[in-house]
Amino acid sequence: MDRIERRQFIQGAALGALAFTVGGGEIPLTPRAARAQGVPLRTLRRVEAATLEALGETLVPGAREAGIVHFIDQQLSGPPEEALLEARILNVRPPYVNFYRAATGAIERASQAQNDGKRFAQLDAAGQHDFVDRMRQNKIDGWQGPAGAFVYLVTRSDAVDVVYGTMEGYAGLGIPYMAHIAPAKRW
Amino acid sequence: MATHEKVDVVIVGAGASGSVFAAVMAKQGKKVVVLEQGPDWQLSDLISSDIWGRRVKPAGGPFVLEGRNPVSYGYQGGWGVGGAALHYFANFPRLLPNDFKIKSEHNRAHDWPIAYADVAPYYDKVASDVGVSGDAKAEEVWRPAGEPYPMPPMKTFRNGDIWLKGFEAAGIRMVPAAVGMNSVAYKGRPACLYDGWCHVGCPIGALANPLVTYLADARKAGAEVRPLSTVTRVLTDAAGTRVTGVEYYDSSKERQVQEASVVVLAAWAAQNPRIMLNSATDKHAKGLANASGLVGKYMMTHFASGTFAIFDENVENHMGTTGAQYMSYDRYGKTSHKDAFGSSFIVAGTALKTSDLGGFANARLDLFGPDLHAFMQRAARGFSRIGAFGEEMPNIDNRLELTSDKDEFGMPRARVVHAYDKDAEAVWNANFAEGVTIAKAAGAKEVWSPRGAMPTIHLMGGTIMGTQAGNSVVNSYGQTHEIGNLYVAGPGIFATSGASNPTYTIFALSLRGAEHLAANWSTVAG
Repeated sequence: MDRIERRQFIQGAALGALAFTVGGGEIPLTPRAARAQGVPLRTLRRVEAATLEALGETLVPGAREAGIVHFIDQQLSGPPEEALLEARILNVRPPYVNFYRAATGAIERASQAQNDGKRFAQLDAAGQHDFVDRMRQNKIDGWQGPAGAFVYLVTRSDAVDVVYGTMEGYAGLGIPYMAHIAPAKRW
Repeated sequence: MATHEKVDVVIVGAGASGSVFAAVMAKQGKKVVVLEQGPDWQLSDLISSDIWGRRVKPAGGPFVLEGRNPVSYGYQGGWGVGGAALHYFANFPRLLPNDFKIKSEHNRAHDWPIAYADVAPYYDKVASDVGVSGDAKAEEVWRPAGEPYPMPPMKTFRNGDIWLKGFEAAGIRMVPAAVGMNSVAYKGRPACLYDGWCHVGCPIGALANPLVTYLADARKAGAEVRPLSTVTRVLTDAAGTRVTGVEYYDSSKERQVQEASVVVLAAWAAQNPRIMLNSATDKHAKGLANASGLVGKYMMTHFASGTFAIFDENVENHMGTTGAQYMSYDRYGKTSHKDAFGSSFIVAGTALKTSDLGGFANARLDLFGPDLHAFMQRAARGFSRIGAFGEEMPNIDNRLELTSDKDEFGMPRARVVHAYDKDAEAVWNANFAEGVTIAKAAGAKEVWSPRGAMPTIHLMGGTIMGTQAGNSVVNSYGQTHEIGNLYVAGPGIFATSGASNPTYTIFALSLRGAEHLAANWSTVAG
């Protein structure tokens, strides 16, 4: 048996570092830092990223700056068996990018059809909130894509992960994290 | 393709059931190879994070999930050495005597071919082997007496204690939960720290996962574990009367054959029948051990009725274990609830984290935006929950069958079709109603029932045990009726589901089956 004692493995509380490609090499960054530094996305397209960022911020305030798009993009850019997305345990069939493409596509089509051509990211906060509220209840007319309620579940989970699921997020809620092995490797 | 030197036993799957067979047979001096589809996890891989914890779960699977209540397995499933037991909650309730005789006593479902008394000694042996904390004497208001547990009950916390007043008001007796965790140091493993990360894997070995229990014993006795080895078929001799080994694909996706005198399928309730159906030959046109057509039939799950509440005090919900602090069988009688049929098993007191399926962000799935944040702030201090697991009666229409679509190894994917019947729905609803009553009596400030899609937890059945090939796939030891040197282990052999968390029974039945195999080796292996 490995001899592992209490919190012996906590290696500082740096947390949340994923391997992002910068200048041809991989460096560990949190999704928040990757976003702040403008690390290029590897898998998501510009419009998809804009939609996901706006959606994430609508679902959980703070998700944008916490780097939800860089988190998802980084996870979509590796093999599915290494992915840390909640999609993995919600029985989404890999490659997971197919789901995100279908989801953001459905959101864009519905948003533009119902808002005089405006993309979801271009709606005001109230419009985004109303759209998401109807999407989670499968109440968007003409919706074409994965069920709106499922899109809500998966992307809400992503937003919860980056805002509340990190050690920083626990601290924000005043909850002791109490790791045995802190997530200092990459996330 | 390579054919490996013949071994005594090849075991497919390195989870709870496979590790027991491996330990028993290796200790008997048998040459044992365990083939595991996923990676060879170490304790140091078990990072305390809901995000990182997903690595030890399936990454999309070869199963198509259909029916009115599709089976959800991603959260509970295992992927890699240790299987699902690498990240289970380690609740260790037993089945009770009434689980084994439903047909005799109620003319419903079917009887098991064995009684509680046949399994009870193995519950006691497993408790000693892996370490169980609890109060056996307190449980004996519901079951026959047995051995005391080797460790005293775990500590309790306010998030569990706060419910006791409500249960008392409802006339429900709560006793310390039996759990596969160390309340004190046990067999060289440390006591639990109550940090609440059990569900992503316990890296200190205080929780009885296979890496620190049976699989460690198996390796010490010489068993070889080959990770990243995906079994696709069980092979038979020309006459079709004996299995000769398995076909699998290694980490390089190269086809391999491992010959063996005995094959044990311990790859989980869905994967075992998938492999058996995919192993059809001219002598077994419908798949191995499937003359009755029952391979893949009677898939069962549990459902849970959670009652969620916010209390006006700090319940320290981050403290404790993911498994329960208290449990009760007071609603375990099959007719406990009016106009419903099936047992319920009640638990209270669990550590909670923020994210993932079981995190409290999901306690109010309807909330998002600023409303969600406000809830998170309230919940961080005062949120707690209780739960009642419910029993589903076996239904032959709940089934697994192969599809024409194939996976990366050319193996057909499998469709799992599942729907609950009216009895299950009635038990589910009754437990919700009672839970709200309990929460209010406990003094909760906000109370709600998270009704959504009826959940599917703990997949069981598909290769059920019985008295003969006409009514089942295996006997009570997991030996298939039709091919004497082919065994099936795990929750798939349960004849009915009961309402108890299944892993303790998986360990007990596997130990019983493995010891029987060892005792009858020359007859079985030929």
